[in-house]
Amino acid sequence: MILRKHILTVCVMLMAACSSCMKWDYGDEPEKFDVTGPGLFISNEGNFQYGNATLSYYNPATCEVQNEVFLRANGMKLGDVAQSLCMHDNRLWIVVNNSHVIFAVDTRTFRETGRIENLPSPRYICFLNDDKAYVSQLWNNRIIIVDPKRYEITGSIEVPGMAAESGSTEQMVLFGKYLYCSCWSYQNRIIRIDTETDRVVDDMVLGIQPKSLVLDRNGKLWCMTDGGYFGSPYGYENPALFRIDAATFTVERKFEFPLTSSPRGLCLTNAGDMLYWLNDDVWRMEVTAEALPSTPFLSSRNTIYYGMAVNPDNGEVYVADAIDYRQQGMVYRYSPDGKLIDEFYVGITPNSFCFKNR
Amino acid sequence: MKKSAKIIIQLILIMCVMPSMADAQNIADRIHRLDEVTVSARRPMKDIGVQKTTFDSIALKENIALSMADVLTFNSSVFVKSYGRATLSTVAFRGTSPSHTQVTWNGMRINSPMLGMTDFSTIPSYFIDRATLLHGTSSVNEAGGGLGGAVRLGTLPDAPEGVHLQYVQGVGSFTTFDEFARFAYGSEHWHISTRAVCSSSKNDYKYINHDKKVNIYDEDKNIIGQYHPEERNRSGAYRDLHILQEVYYNTLKGDRFGVSAWYIDSNRELPMLTTDYGDERDFENRQREHTFRGVAQWDHIRSNWKVAAKGGYIHTNNAYDYRREVTADHWTTMTRSRSHINTIFGLAEAEYAIGGKWFLTANLSAHQQFVKSDDKSLTLSDGADIIIGYDKHRLEMSGSVSAKWQPIDRLGLSLVMREDIYGKKYAPLIPAFFIDGLLSRQGNIMLRGSISKNYRFPSLNDLYFMPGGNPALKNEHGFSYDAGISFDAARKGLFSISGSATWFDSRINDWIIWLPTTKGFYSPRNMSKVHAYGVELKSNLTLRPFREWLLDLNGSYSWTPSINVGEKMSAADQSVGKQLPYVPKHSASVTGRLTWRTWSFLYKWAYYSQRFTMSSNDLTLSGHLPAYYMSNISLEKSLRLKPADLQLKLAVNNLFNEEYLSVLSRPMPGINFELFIGITPRIGKQKKESSQPY
Repeated sequence: MILRKHILTVCVMLMAACSSCMKWDYGDEPEKFDVTGPGLFISNEGNFQYGNATLSYYNPATCEVQNEVFLRANGMKLGDVAQSLCMHDNRLWIVVNNSHVIFAVDTRTFRETGRIENLPSPRYICFLNDDKAYVSQLWNNRIIIVDPKRYEITGSIEVPGMAAESGSTEQMVLFGKYLYCSCWSYQNRIIRIDTETDRVVDDMVLGIQPKSLVLDRNGKLWCMTDGGYFGSPYGYENPALFRIDAATFTVERKFEFPLTSSPRGLCLTNAGDMLYWLNDDVWRMEVTAEALPSTPFLSSRNTIYYGMAVNPDNGEVYVADAIDYRQQGMVYRYSPDGKLIDEFYVGITPNSFCFKNR
Repeated sequence: MKKSAKIIIQLILIMCVMPSMADAQNIADRIHRLDEVTVSARRPMKDIGVQKTTFDSIALKENIALSMADVLTFNSSVFVKSYGRATLSTVAFRGTSPSHTQVTWNGMRINSPMLGMTDFSTIPSYFIDRATLLHGTSSVNEAGGGLGGAVRLGTLPDAPEGVHLQYVQGVGSFTTFDEFARFAYGSEHWHISTRAVCSSSKNDYKYINHDKKVNIYDEDKNIIGQYHPEERNRSGAYRDLHILQEVYYNTLKGDRFGVSAWYIDSNRELPMLTTDYGDERDFENRQREHTFRGVAQWDHIRSNWKVAAKGGYIHTNNAYDYRREVTADHWTTMTRSRSHINTIFGLAEAEYAIGGKWFLTANLSAHQQFVKSDDKSLTLSDGADIIIGYDKHRLEMSGSVSAKWQPIDRLGLSLVMREDIYGKKYAPLIPAFFIDGLLSRQGNIMLRGSISKNYRFPSLNDLYFMPGGNPALKNEHGFSYDAGISFDAARKGLFSISGSATWFDSRINDWIIWLPTTKGFYSPRNMSKVHAYGVELKSNLTLRPFREWLLDLNGSYSWTPSINVGEKMSAADQSVGKQLPYVPKHSASVTGRLTWRTWSFLYKWAYYSQRFTMSSNDLTLSGHLPAYYMSNISLEKSLRLKPADLQLKLAVNNLFNEEYLSVLSRPMPGINFELFIGITPRIGKQKKESSQPY
C-alpha cells in the first residue's frame, strides 16, 4: 500500500511537470509599445537554420534597451538570419535573408505594417523613392525590384556576365540617378545601374569579393574587398579598400591590408568625412587620408566585433561583440573620442544598426 | 482534450508501467516465459565493470516503421536530437555531443568520416538483431573516441530451421506506407536471410505555426488582421529503401563464417523552417543517399580461445541540392553538394581464457577513409567551373589489449589499453580500468566502477571542409569515471526485477565547436572545456500476475548537467558555468507491455526537460525549447490460421497530440496512426508446428 502511494506520488509529480511544459512561451497577445524620440534599432542575426533572429531597440537618452521587440510587438518570430536594416518613410525595413522576407515595421510601435515575401535570398534593400526599391540577392544574378507601398515584387535586373549559381549582389549606394552595387560572393566587381531604365550600364573589377560600400561627402565611393579565403578556388588575395570617384566611376586609390586580415563593416560619420571599419579592432580614417592608420581607434578586448555604426547626430560609435555567436551579444557605445559611455546586451550575433531620428 | 483528462489518462497509463526502471543487462534476458529466468552471480568476464544497455528483439522489432532513433528515444536515457520525422536524428550520451558517440555495425565503425556523427533515422530497427549501448568509459572496449559512449549494432544468424517468409505492410497518417519483407532459410550449417524495408511518406502533417502570422490587408495594403496559420510540414516527403542480405555458415567444429551486406537508397526532402516566407513550390531542398555497407567475418572458436577476423567496405554517395525558383521557370541552385565516401575496413581480434580467472583480449582495426566532398559546384561569370570542396584520405587505426582477472567469484578487474592512430597523428595511450564486485548473492547486488582517459580525432570536415576547415585543430580529450550498483531478483513463474544506478563524471577539453566567422562562413575551433556528470537509473520488472498474463516494464532516467567550465571568451561572456545548448538536464523513458494470450498492448513514454538554445542559458522568448513528453501506444493481435500467422497492429503516436519541438523552428507531428498487417506463411513442417516469430 505504501509502495503504491509512493508510485502515485511520483506519477502525480511527473504529470504536473509534464502538463505545464508543452505550452508556447509567447502568446498571441502583442505587447504595446510607443517609443518617441531618437533611438537605435539593432538586428540580431541569430543562428542560421534556427529561426532565432531578433530585433532590439535602444534609447540613447535613457540608456534603456528592449530586446526581442519584433516578437513582443507582433506575437511572431522575426525569422532566420536578420541580415540588414534600413529606415524609410518612418518605417524600419528588416531584411531577413533565410526567411526570404522583408518586414516593414512602425518605428514607434514596432508593429508590422507589411511584408514583401518569397524573395530568393535577400541581403539589402535600397530605396529609390517611395514607390520603388532594389533588393540585392545572394546566389542569384538578379537584383529584385519591389514596390514598397504595395509590398510587391515588380521586376528584376539581371546582372550581365554573372552566372546565376555563383551570383551575388550586396551593398548598394545611390548617387544621382545611378545606383552602385558591390558584387560579393565569388565576384570581383561593382556595377552601376541606371535607375531610370533599371539596367546595368557599367561595371568595374576591383578585387576578390567586394562587400562594404559607402559614399562620402566628396562623391567618392569606398569599397572594401575581403580577399576571399585560404584554399578558395576563386582565389585568395590581400583584402583592400578602394576609393572610387562616383562620377567618373574610376578607382582613385587602393589601400591594401595584410593577407590574413578580415576588414569589414565600413561606415561613415553623418558628415561623410570619417570612415570607420572593423578588422579585429575598430579603425577609423579621414576620407582625405592617403594611408591606412597604424593604430586602431578601439582595440579588441578578446571581443569578436561583428557589427558597427556611427550615430549621425553626435558621432558616437556603437560596436557589437558577438562573443561566441550563441548567446546574447554585447553592444558597446563609445564617444567620438573613444570613451566608453554604455554597454548593453542585445540578441544573438548583433550585426546591423539603424538610427531613428524622432 | 482537457488538461485534467489528459493527466488522468497519462496517470493511468504510467501507473501501469512506472514501477520499475530497466536494468539494461537484463533486458536481453527478458523473455515471455518467466520460468526460464535464472539469476547467476557468474557473469561474462568480457563485461567486467562494463556499463551497458542491451535491447532485445521485442524492442527492436516493435514495428517496421521505427528507426533506431525511435527505439533509443523510448528505451534508453540517451538524448536523441531529431530535426523531424525521417530527418537527421543524432544520439548523445551523458551530456556530450553526437560526434562523441561511436557507432559500429557488425564490428565496423559507421560514423560518417566527414561529420563524425551517425544519423540514426537511416537505420531501420528491423535490420538490427542486437543493439547495445556502452556508456562512457565502457566504450573503450569497443572503440576509441567515444567520449560519451558507443552504440554497438549487429545482425545475427537467427533463422530457425527451414524456409521462412514474412511480410508486413503498414499504412499510416500523412500518406505513409511502410513495407517489410523477409526471406530466411536455416539449417544446421547455414543461415540465409534477405530483408527489405521500404518506407515512403508525404510527411505533410499539419501544425499551427506559432512562429509566423498571416496578414489580412485592406485595399490600401493596410494590415487589418493577423492570425497564426495552420500549415502543413512543407517539403518533408521521403522515400527510403533498405535491403539487407546475410549468409552465415557454421562448420559446427568451431568455425563460423558470415557475410552481411546492407544497401540504402534514400531520397528525402528537408522541411522548410517555420519562419520561411518562401513559396513551397519555388523551393527544393533534397538529400539523396546511396550507401552500401558490407562485412565479412570469420570466427574460430576453441574451448578457451578464439580468433576472429573481419573485412568490410562502405561506399556512400550523398547528394544535397538546395534550389529556388527566382523568377518564373528560372531556378537557381544555391547549394549543389556531392560527397563520395569509400571506407575499407579490417579487423583482427583474439581472446584467451586462462583457468577461469584470467581473460585476455587483443584487437586491431583499421578504417581507410577516402572522402571526396564537393560542397559547391559553381559556374563563374567568366564561364569557368570551380568546385569548392576537398579530396582527402586518412587511415584510422585503433588497437587494444585487455586483461581481465577474476581472482574470486565475487570480484572482477579489467585493464584495457587502447591506441588510436589517425593518419600520421598518434593519440596518447588510452587507458581504462574496470572493476566489479558481487556484494550480495541475495538480490545479486553488484558494484561496478570504471575510469579512463579518451581522445577523439577531428572529423575530416572539421579539418578540411571548404571553406572553414581548420587543419590546426587539436584532439578532443577527456577523463571520465563512473560507479554504480545493480541488482536483480526473480521468483520462478511470478516475477523478475532488476535495477541499477550509476554515477558518472567526465571532463572534456578542447571540445570542437563550429562557429561563424567574419568572412561569412562557419569554422571549427577547439573552444570549450566541459564538465559533464550525473546519474543514470534503469530498471525492469517482468511480472506474471495471472495465468496467461504478462506485464513487462522498463524505465530509465538520466540527470546530465553538462557545464561549460572554460575561460570566458570576453568580459561579456555569460556562458561559463552554464548548461550546454541543446543538452537536456533530465531525460526519462518508460515502456510497458501487457500481454494476454494473443493480445499485446504497449505504452511508451519519453521525456526531455527544457533545453537551452543559447550558451548563456537565457530564457528569452526565442532562446529555449520547452520540455516535452511523448506518449505512444500500440495494440497488437496475433491470429494463427492454417496457411499463415497474421499479426494486426495499430500504433498511435503522440497520443495526446502535443505540440512540441526538438529543435527550434522544426515542428514535430501531432497525433498520428499507422496500421500494420503482418503475414508469416506456414511452409512445410511449420503448418503442423507452432511457428515462433523470428
